[in-house]
Amino acid sequence: MPAQWLAACLVNELPPGGRKLIKLNGIDIALFNIGGTVFAIKNRCPHRSGPLIRGFTDAAGGIKCPMHGWRFDLRNGSSERPAQATVYPVKVEDNTLYLLL
Amino acid sequence: MQLANIDKLIKDEYAFFLKEKNDWSLTAGPQDLELVAHALRVLLHARTTPDFLPDYLALVDCQNADGGWSPFSADEESTVWVSAFCGLMLIRGNRLLGNERITKSVHRAIDYFLGTQKSDGHWVDPRWADLDTTSHPVSFFNVALGLHEPYRRADVLRSWERGGRFIIDNQSSDGGWYDADFHPSGVEITAHLIQDAVVADLVIERRLRGADESCAKGAAKLYEWQAQDGSWDNENVDHTMDCTRSLMVVTRILNDTRAEEVIMHGLRWILTHKNESGWGDFPGEETNLERTCDGLDTLLKYKAYRSSDPQDVVRLWGYVS
Repeated sequence: MPAQWLAACLVNELPPGGRKLIKLNGIDIALFNIGGTVFAIKNRCPHRSGPLIRGFTDAAGGIKCPMHGWRFDLRNGSSERPAQATVYPVKVEDNTLYLLL
Repeated sequence: MQLANIDKLIKDEYAFFLKEKNDWSLTAGPQDLELVAHALRVLLHARTTPDFLPDYLALVDCQNADGGWSPFSADEESTVWVSAFCGLMLIRGNRLLGNERITKSVHRAIDYFLGTQKSDGHWVDPRWADLDTTSHPVSFFNVALGLHEPYRRADVLRSWERGGRFIIDNQSSDGGWYDADFHPSGVEITAHLIQDAVVADLVIERRLRGADESCAKGAAKLYEWQAQDGSWDNENVDHTMDCTRSLMVVTRILNDTRAEEVIMHGLRWILTHKNESGWGDFPGEETNLERTCDGLDTLLKYKAYRSSDPQDVVRLWGYVS
C-alpha cells in the first residue's frame, strides 16, 4: 500500500516542549515538539521495546530510550547502536499535523 | 504483605506465563534469547526446570560456534550480554538436569568469555554499557566458582577477579555506577552491579578488596534514589524490580536490616502497578513478557527473602548451593 498522509492531531495539541502518544494504522507513534519542530517516531525502541514517549529529548533532536539509554536521531531514526528507529515525515496543513505512513 | 497472597499471585502469574509459552519457548521456534533467558530464570526459581529439559537443550542447539549466543536465536553473531545470561541459565539449570550436552555447552561458554575479555578486565557489547556488560560474565563466573565448576578453573578465577576489579574500580565516589550514554541516572546499572557481580565475592571467594564497602555504598545509593512512592527511575517498572531484588540479596548478605522497609515499599509499588496479568514497562503500559518474567522473579525472590533461612534468597542468585 503506498504511503499516505494521515492526520495525527491539531497543532495546538503539541506546543513546544510537548509530547504526545498517538495511534495511526495500529502503530503507536510518539510525537515530540522540540523548539517548534515536530518529530514523529515509532514508540517502541528497537532494543528492548522501551516506550520512547517516556524518553529524554535533547536540543540536537535526539531521543534517549528510558530503559537502557539507546539514543536515536529524531530526524532520520539513526543511532550509534546496532539498530535504527522508524521515523515518520511530518507536515502541517490547516492547523493539523499530518504524518506520512 | 501476606505470604499467602504472594503465593496466590505467583500461582496466577505463573499460569499466565505458561499460557504465553509459544512466545518464549525455543521449542516453539526461533526466539529473542534475552526473553528466553528471562523465562528460564522463572523456571529455575519456580523449581520447574526438570519439566523443561527440551527448552534447555534447544538453547544448547542455538549456541554459536564460538561458544556465545546471539540476541536472536536464528542469528550467528555472538554478543556478550545475552551469552552470559544464556550461559548462566544453563550452568544453574544443569545442577538440576545433570545433562552432558549442557555441561559441554557451559564449557564452550567459558571458553567464549575467557576469549573475549579485554586486557583491563572488561567485556564489550554494542547493545549494553560496558559496566553492565562486564557484570554479566562476572555473574556467570560467580556461579561457576560457587558451584565449583572445575573446567579451566584457574583461568576463570583470574578472569573473574579482573572483571570484578574493573567494576569496583569504576564505582563513583557517591556509591553509584554511571554510564553517560546508556545509564545516565545510574539506577539500573548500580542495582545490576551490586547484585550480579560484587556481592557474590562476599559469599564465594573474598578476593576483591573493598567488595563489602562497594556493596554497602551501592545499596545506600539505591535507598537514596527511591522515590517517595516506592519506585525508582521515574516510575520505571523494570528498574524498580531491579532495585527491589538487588536489595534483597545484597542487604541479606551484608546483614543490613535497614533495607526491609525500602524493599517492602518497592514491592508494594510493583504490585500496585501490575496489570490484570503481568506487567508493562511503566504504569499503564500494556503487559510484556519480559517484564512479566521479571515480576514473577521478584515475587519468587521475595518469598525466599522472607524465609527463615537467610541463605534461601542467596540461593536464587546461584552463589550458594
